[in-house]
Amino acid sequence: MATLADSFLADLDELSDNEADVLEEENDDVTNMEEDIDGDLADIEALNYDDLDSVAKLQKTQRYIDIMQKVEDALGKGSDFSNQGMVLEDDPEYQLIVDCNVLSVDIENEIVIIHNFIRDKYRLKFPELESLVHHPIDYARVVKKIGNETDLTLVDLEGLLPSAIIMVVSVTASTTSGKPLPEDVLQKTIDACDRALVLDAAKKKVLDFVESRMGYIAPNLSTVVGSAVAAKLMGTAGGLSALAKMPACNVQLLGAKKKTLAGFSTATSQFRVGYIEQTEIFQTTPPALRSRACRLLASKATLAARIDSTRGDPSGNGGRSLKEEIHKKIEKWQEPPPAKQPKPLPVPDSEPKKKRGGRRLRKMKERYAITDMRKLANRMQFGVPEESSLGDGLGEGYGMLGQAGSGKLRVSVGQSKLAAKVAKKFKEKRYGSSGATSGLTSSLAFTPVQGIELTNPQAHAHQLGSGTQSTYFSETGTFSKIRRT
Amino acid sequence: MSYLLPTLTTKKEVDTIIRDTIDKVLVLRFGRAADTVCLQLDDILAKTAREVSKFATVALVDVDSEDVQVYVKYFDITLIPSTVFFFNAHHMKMDSGTADHTKWVGAFHEKQDFIDVVEAIFRGAMKGKLIVNCPLPPERIPKYQLLYKDV
Repeated sequence: MATLADSFLADLDELSDNEADVLEEENDDVTNMEEDIDGDLADIEALNYDDLDSVAKLQKTQRYIDIMQKVEDALGKGSDFSNQGMVLEDDPEYQLIVDCNVLSVDIENEIVIIHNFIRDKYRLKFPELESLVHHPIDYARVVKKIGNETDLTLVDLEGLLPSAIIMVVSVTASTTSGKPLPEDVLQKTIDACDRALVLDAAKKKVLDFVESRMGYIAPNLSTVVGSAVAAKLMGTAGGLSALAKMPACNVQLLGAKKKTLAGFSTATSQFRVGYIEQTEIFQTTPPALRSRACRLLASKATLAARIDSTRGDPSGNGGRSLKEEIHKKIEKWQEPPPAKQPKPLPVPDSEPKKKRGGRRLRKMKERYAITDMRKLANRMQFGVPEESSLGDGLGEGYGMLGQAGSGKLRVSVGQSKLAAKVAKKFKEKRYGSSGATSGLTSSLAFTPVQGIELTNPQAHAHQLGSGTQSTYFSETGTFSKIRRT
Repeated sequence: MSYLLPTLTTKKEVDTIIRDTIDKVLVLRFGRAADTVCLQLDDILAKTAREVSKFATVALVDVDSEDVQVYVKYFDITLIPSTVFFFNAHHMKMDSGTADHTKWVGAFHEKQDFIDVVEAIFRGAMKGKLIVNCPLPPERIPKYQLLYKDV
């Protein structure tokens, strides 16, 4: 787009920062500029920043003047509905509306260009202002008010800006790095501000006119969102057909303001709503449902715009039914939930308990499982009287505990089933390694507590463990008895 | 109160309901609508009828009507109110520490007591028992004196 290119080029020009060059160009190109009538297609190479007129040409164009004249007349005349029967496209009023739409977009672009111009000029004086005040018209007003003033306490910005921003501006102004502008530059800047304000007023007039005719051009859309908002939407979109082509999510964001932080947190800032925020339906919904309402409105408004762009329903019935739908939906959202009925109790023992499994449960069960020691104590050998704690059959019996010939009651800690699996894998790996064991292995076992034991206590444990686990079926067990022949 | 629970006045109705309640405990209260203890019991029955509805049905039998005197005599109902439990047309007995196991005499202290009793009957019945133990502690069970003839 031309304006975007303009602003980029403007930035590039800034970098070169050579006023002399620019001045030379000016003399050559001013003549070119004046011949160029079409306001939109600015000659990009010939931009210069000293002369506002060469940058912002819209107000001088014939087209602009004509349309503004017609708008004034029409506004004065009031609405004229006698030509309902005619095909819309032939109606001169409709043509005027279409022109107005295009013009409002052009005016907006023009305002952006002028804003850039003002900003570049005023940067020498007060560079931080452009980041504090985003809106171009507000910026223009503030610049006009401040002028060349260095002390901001003498300037009254009430009514132009919200008070928080005024405060920030005043504080920043006291520490700004800018210097007061020379007189001619100042004059040009003030002129540009005036120009921007005039354009803004013109745009307002155009929009008012479009709004008054809205019910005639787009009856469905105006029924759904209201004629003011409909006019604004159409103006921003650039025409009814352009609006109809937009997806609903874009329509929702048309006219959304950029957030001005000014030190406030973004947690409370509202979600992105555009002109839709100003519709009556939106204002009357409770805040909790506002975001849903916004989406609903945007989608129905898009549908209405599409009906209108094809003139499918000149009477406006489609719009009315859409509006009804919206109302009904919003009411339904606000209904309280159905009352809870107390549930009858479930039949006893009909729902089987959900048994859990897994490693965690197994580990927990291990803590209460019967240990090998207890198992041995529970069993007895045939024909061998068991020993008891108090001797002679009194006290607790020891069963097979301590009977494996060692005379010790101590049983080595039995391996848990999980560890057994791991041990089995480990053993298979070791014995499967083609006999290449390290030379440091021995059958002697060294325990830190008992010093050097000549017998391997592991072998001993196996013997005892076999009392509880059958070695016949064991997968890791070795031969139980090897007879020498 | 009692308008929430079906009231049976004829023998035929009682027969039908006993026959038709399948796989659910049938709670039949024999009593009068005017008696105070009866009203208390009815209140509890009415409030829990819906909660227990998946495994029990509750009905009231008016002990003053002539038609059901057969049943009154059969079950030997002397004290009002008396509650008899059935499951699949079998008469369920419950040992609550009192002399009479065939019926429950008196009202319940709380809704939960009633629900516990019905659940005990249901579990016992599902297992195939015809007599079950009462899950309530003795202080919750209304005490009464059986009137014997010739005592």
